[in-house]
Formats: sequence, structure tokens, C-alpha cells
Amino acid sequence: MTALPTESEQSKIDSPSPVAGFGAKLRAFANTALGINAGRIVLAGTFLAVWQFGANRLFDPFFFGTPLAVFEQLITEVTSADFYRDLGVTAIEMAGGFGIGASSGIFLGVLLARWAYVASVVDPFLLALNSIPRIALAPMLIVWFGIDMASKVFLGATLVFFITFFNTLAGIRSVERALCDVARVQGASDWQIFTKVMLPSASTWIMTGIKMSLPFALVGVIIGEFLVSTHGLGYRLNAYSTSYNTVGAISMIIIMVILMMVLTAVVDHVEARLMRWRPARDPEPIARA
Amino acid sequence: MSSAILRIEGVAKTFPGRGAPVGALDRTDFVIGRGEFVTLVGPSGCGKSTLLNLVSGLIAPSEGAIWYDDRRITGVNRQIGYVTQQDNLFPWRTLRDNVAFPLELAGVPPRERHAEAGRWIRRVGLEGFENAYPYELSGGMRQRANIIRTLIYEPPVILMDEPFGPLDAQTRISLQALLLSIWESQRSTVLFVTHDLTKAIGLADRVVDERATGPHGSGRHRQDTAPARYIFHPSESRIPGTARFNLEGARCANP
Repeated sequence: MTALPTESEQSKIDSPSPVAGFGAKLRAFANTALGINAGRIVLAGTFLAVWQFGANRLFDPFFFGTPLAVFEQLITEVTSADFYRDLGVTAIEMAGGFGIGASSGIFLGVLLARWAYVASVVDPFLLALNSIPRIALAPMLIVWFGIDMASKVFLGATLVFFITFFNTLAGIRSVERALCDVARVQGASDWQIFTKVMLPSASTWIMTGIKMSLPFALVGVIIGEFLVSTHGLGYRLNAYSTSYNTVGAISMIIIMVILMMVLTAVVDHVEARLMRWRPARDPEPIARA
Repeated sequence: MSSAILRIEGVAKTFPGRGAPVGALDRTDFVIGRGEFVTLVGPSGCGKSTLLNLVSGLIAPSEGAIWYDDRRITGVNRQIGYVTQQDNLFPWRTLRDNVAFPLELAGVPPRERHAEAGRWIRRVGLEGFENAYPYELSGGMRQRANIIRTLIYEPPVILMDEPFGPLDAQTRISLQALLLSIWESQRSTVLFVTHDLTKAIGLADRVVDERATGPHGSGRHRQDTAPARYIFHPSESRIPGTARFNLEGARCANP
């Protein structure tokens, strides 16, 4: 749908003929918001239909379930108290991991951006730390912090930390010198330059770090729950898949997708409120196709 | 009244380059009297902007000294305002908050500083755009905002680095007229830099061309003690790309 028109299609667009009337109308409709949503519904509907009606014909539903079975499972989940307890545990772990990781990342990013010597000294060590495959760290974190929530919180935090840290560092370093000079000439103290020029200027970068790191809070928490846990969505997913309950496992994955999409929407909304001063973004490329 | 407010004595600036240091401004001496509107004209790259950066205190001279009111300038200070060529408005602040920024730094309460900013915004015809962000304003509107946010805190000396450079002729002419009327009512001292002689003539009522008349030949006959507007040319250029401003004329005119 987003592919560029081929030369022959292009020439049809350029020279409308009575024969191409329907095609042109279809193309005009495709460019409206309604047309895009219609395309999305067709895509999702086709996928669900193949999944539902292909079961027992194209593939074994034991391995892939069916949409109707997954839907029934989802209803069972959202009406059971156990599910909400596990959702609550994962949500708390995620909030803790994100909160600790993002706040320490922003704090240290700001600190090291202002403290160039220390930043140069620790730079290779930070790169090395960030290169640790976090899943390799997970068993150690469980040794250090136990099998309860703390180990999952810290696993999420280590992932979130580096993303927000490097973005904040880059944000403070890319503050335009001319803006700092203007403030200084107008009588700003070092602290005023920091709070009134550098932080607002870096806020775009910090916001990007927050947006990028949010999904990793969930990744870290779920990996931790996979390894050792007694509660949480990851525990639930693991319990289903190890007992070959594919329908249950797929329903948990869908829950996680919904959770992530809701959180992303919230962050997008906050960003739109805070970043009103930026010019509106270019229209989505899909709307121009 | 006409005593010197700025004295530039033997000031030169070099920047460290690859191998040998690069000269940005050759030895320069001049004096500007209180309340004068002085326009410096010179080709691009002759050190005009360097000179303003030095006077503002953003950079330190390699040689010589700059005196403001008999105090040596060692860093930036609120007595000397600086209107830069690029508008450099804070993109995250509304027009009102950009204009009120210097007052905010000085601790003026919000209601007062917003009222004051509103008065300046009306004065330059930007009313109705108080809550607009810089990206929503045209180049001419941004440059008006850039000028009034320096005027608002009334620094005794205002440096201007081609503030009308990127604007079209019509906007430029109306802004120049506005600037002169504000200068006449505020009585601040202005050091205005441009590479465009016609622009300079539009601002000054008298052109002093150092190259044509010699360093002492220009202002000697002037007897007035009232603030006057001058234009000066760089008198000679010893290092390619740099110039020496010899502004004896100002001293002659306002002893």
C-alpha cells in the first residue's frame, strides 16, 4: 500500500481516462482517513479469517489455537481475580523498573553532561555495561535481589537506564550555545541557564528516551518473571506455554500488547501536551501515498 | 552627558588555529560617547562580530582592554545588551515569555513582567501573537521580538549585529524607523554593525568614511554636544580578512 506507484500506474494517474474512472475513485478513497481504516479492517479481518478457518485444514489448532478460543480465554482471564493479581504485580514491577531506570538515567545524564571530565573517564565503562546482554544478567539479579519483585524491577531498570541516560546526555550536549549566550548576556546565572535553557532544550531528547525505553521496562520484567517467579503476567504466560496451553499463552501475549499500546498512547499524549512549542510533524507518509 | 561610556583600548583578538593563531580582529581603538548611535560598516569577515562579542564580554580580548564607564569588562554584564543576527528566540517559550525572559531572570513577578512585555509587543505591532511560539512567527516578527527583549530591560549600551540582515527591504526600513524612534526616547547608547552601507545610511544622519577623510579629518568641525549618529569604516586591513577600526572621529566629535 505504501509502495511507490510503478511507471505504468503513474502514467494512469497523470492522464485520467474514462476507463480508469473506478481506479481513480478507489485511489482517492484510499487516501482518506476512512479509506485507511477500511484497509486496516480488511487486513485484520483476513488474518483472523485465515486463522479461524485454516484451523484443522491448514494447521493444527493444538499449536496455534483459534481466534474464537483465544477470545473466550481472554474473557475468562478478565473475569478472574487471579489475572488481576498477576496484572497488578507486573504493573508494579514495570512502574518500579521504569521509574528507577528513567529517573537515574536522566539524573546521571544531566550530571555527566555538565561534568565533562568524569564523562570522558567513565565513557568506555558505560559502553561495556550497556553491552551486557541483559538476559545474561537476569540470573545474577535473582541471586542478588531474590525471587520476588525486586529482581524484576532492577532488570527492567537496567534496560531503561541506559536508553534514558544516553538520550539525556546527548540532549544536554546538543543545546545550542547561542541560546546559552543570549541568556547569559541577559543576566542569567549558571543555575538559571541550566534550568531555563539547557533542560527545556534537552526535553525533546529526554522525551524520546522515555518513549524508547518504555517497552523495555516490560521486556525486563517479563524476562525476570520467566526465570523465577510466583506471580505476574510473565509467570502466567510461562505457566500456560510449559503446559502446552497455546490459547492461554496467546491470550497473555495479547494482554501485553494491549498494555503496551495503552502506555504508549498515554506517553504520546503527555508528549503532545509538553511539546506544543514544536512545529506540527509532517503528515504520516501513509496519508501521502 | 557626552562622556565616554565605552572605551576600546588596543584590543586585538586571535583564535588558536592549525599551527599559527588566526587573527580575527587587529588592534582596535575607539571611544563611544554616552547616548551615541554608532554604526560600524565593514565587509563580511572583517571582525565586526568578533568586536561585538568582545564588548559584550562573551569572549576575552587577546590584547588590550575594554572599559565600560571606567570599569574594565571581564565578563558578560547586564549593562550591555546584545541583539544578535539570528533571532535566537527560545523555541519552547511563547512570544510573551521570550520578551519577558530578562525580567524573569531578574526576579520580576509574573504579572508585572507580562504587562511590561505586552507593552513592548504592542509597540512593535505584534499584539495578538503574545501566546504564539517562535515557529509560528515570520522572520520579521521574530526579529522584532529579538530586539524588544533586549530593549525591555533597558541596558545602557546595546550592541546590534546586523539585526535586519535576513529581512526583506520593506520590513527592514520600518524596523529601522522603529529602532530610531525607540532610541530617541530611551537615550541608550547603540553600537550597530552592518556590512551594508545603504543600511547604515538609512540609520545615521552623517557618514564618516575614515578611508576618504583620514582619521582626524571628519568630525573636527562638529561642535554639537548632543548625541549624534556616526558611521565608521575600517581604516586599514593588515591581516587579510581582518580590519582595524580606527574611530578617532568619535573622540574628535565628542571630546
